[in-house]
Amino acid sequence: MSLSRRLILKATTGAAALAMLATGALAQSDPLRVGLGDIASVESLNLLIAMERTKERGVPMEMTFFNSEDVAVQAALSDEVEIGVGAPYAFMANSKAPIRMFYRMSTLLFFPVVNSDVYSDWTDLDGEEVTVHSRGSGTEALMRLMEQVHDIEYSNLSYVPGSEVRAGAMLQGTINASIVDATNFRLLQEKGGAKFMRLPLDGVNATDEALYASAETLEARADDIQIFVEELLRTWQDIADDPAIVGELRAQYDLLPDLPEDVAAEAVPYFAEAAENGIYPLDGGEPQDARDDIAFLAAAGQVTLNPDEVDPTEFWDFTALEAAKAAQ
Amino acid sequence: MANTQTDPGVIPGPTSRAFDMLGGTPLIWRMASLALFFAIWEIAGRTNFNWAFPTFLETMAALWEMLANGSMFSAYGRTLEPLVIGLVISLGIGVSAGVLMGLRRDVEWITLPVFITMQAAPMAALIPLITFVYGIGLTSKVLAVCMLAMPVIAINSYKAVRNVPPSLVDMSQSFMGSRRQQVFKIILPAASPMMFAGIRLGVAEGFSGVVLAELLITPTGIGDLITFNRSVAKFAHMYAAIFSIVAFAVIAVSLLHRVETSLFRPEKRGA
Repeated sequence: MSLSRRLILKATTGAAALAMLATGALAQSDPLRVGLGDIASVESLNLLIAMERTKERGVPMEMTFFNSEDVAVQAALSDEVEIGVGAPYAFMANSKAPIRMFYRMSTLLFFPVVNSDVYSDWTDLDGEEVTVHSRGSGTEALMRLMEQVHDIEYSNLSYVPGSEVRAGAMLQGTINASIVDATNFRLLQEKGGAKFMRLPLDGVNATDEALYASAETLEARADDIQIFVEELLRTWQDIADDPAIVGELRAQYDLLPDLPEDVAAEAVPYFAEAAENGIYPLDGGEPQDARDDIAFLAAAGQVTLNPDEVDPTEFWDFTALEAAKAAQ
Repeated sequence: MANTQTDPGVIPGPTSRAFDMLGGTPLIWRMASLALFFAIWEIAGRTNFNWAFPTFLETMAALWEMLANGSMFSAYGRTLEPLVIGLVISLGIGVSAGVLMGLRRDVEWITLPVFITMQAAPMAALIPLITFVYGIGLTSKVLAVCMLAMPVIAINSYKAVRNVPPSLVDMSQSFMGSRRQQVFKIILPAASPMMFAGIRLGVAEGFSGVVLAELLITPTGIGDLITFNRSVAKFAHMYAAIFSIVAFAVIAVSLLHRVETSLFRPEKRGA
């Protein structure tokens, strides 16, 4: 073996060793990136707090924002983010892509509301027009489900995006039956008093947002994800115990520093109300929730699956959650 | 015949010869090219390189399903409304503004910068602005179509009028033609081929406008088929909707191209 050849050999082994070292070090400090299909708002504060607490335990985390939840799913599949936010049941059912949800962050809470001068009951809505957010949205799914539960049929579903727009239209009297979120339901009560009546939504248990990751990530980063889930459970519990903590922790971690004061001031009342309504579940999800979700989405026509035959593990991976609960 | 007759002063280079060959290709070769593209699509879909990418056959099955259950037709009924209204307005205003700009310097100074700005500005960024002013109804969608279609129609009409051979105008003057006769008998006929080309480009832009509006303002018509199927992860249906609007635009623009050649290029008739 000539000298030059030996030199080359040495150099390449050296480079290879260096590369391995570098990737090893990189893997250590690789952050868990969370892809949000929206911009961060007051409602994301609990997630942001849990991320800060995870960072404090030595797991670097980052948040990335996408235009829509669909893009977040694609990013999670192509490893551009490790964790996505959303409830991509339809995507998972139709594409059979290897992603699994691992933490249930929030449940769907909407208020079907009618003008009490015109309607007083679900059965009054038979043959009437109802306004929802958009096609394929949770509001549409809820109203379709109620159609089945109460054995009625709307004459038409019209689409007006934005709870605040629909609430405005109810106040103006342009529409008489719609479905709005908690904030706008409160607005309707303040401005309209007894004129606006809430119709009961019984037996609906549906996930609004969950955290998901690719099967590969769930396995490769199992330890980091378990720490994250532990902090999620702790944060959700802390907020449920004392919603005021959101304001304190926001200041402590300097979260969403650009929020205008009046918007930031809504954070604590929002979480107090959310805790009261049980929007943020404290158990992180369980197999029965997955079945309920499927039942809800099937009723709304978004998936064609039988909830009784569905195997929750096709959508969920509870390993991290169980490990986190055991560690607590 | 058609292959040999090119514009005087244009030297046929290798690319133009290639285009001539394509233009002269029998139908069967064009079909073969399409078939090749669809085959590549089918193979790409089957390799599962992306979980959201359906195969060609799945897409066609979805397209057939949407045609058979009528959802495609009702979607096009909704989409055509802003498209047609927007195009009619764009044609009316665009052509007349273009002709006026071509004929009168003062109009050119005032109006041309507006159209150049409209043509250069990224319209997708301005659509939210339209919704702030005109809401989410039909008006906004019609405006989106106009904003994309009108500049190219107006600027082409303007250039067409400007580029009328001066010798023709001189001739009209030597025959003591009035200004009116000059405009209606000489300038407009001489400008019409290029104006028509602008109209064809404008219609193509109009399709972009209406789809942008339906995706960005409120989902209706074909934009609704795309967003709805995307949100429930029925990707074959989503691609079928996209495929249909692309095919529809291509067919509409090709038909206009045919009308254009048969109206204004006698030497290309029957080619």
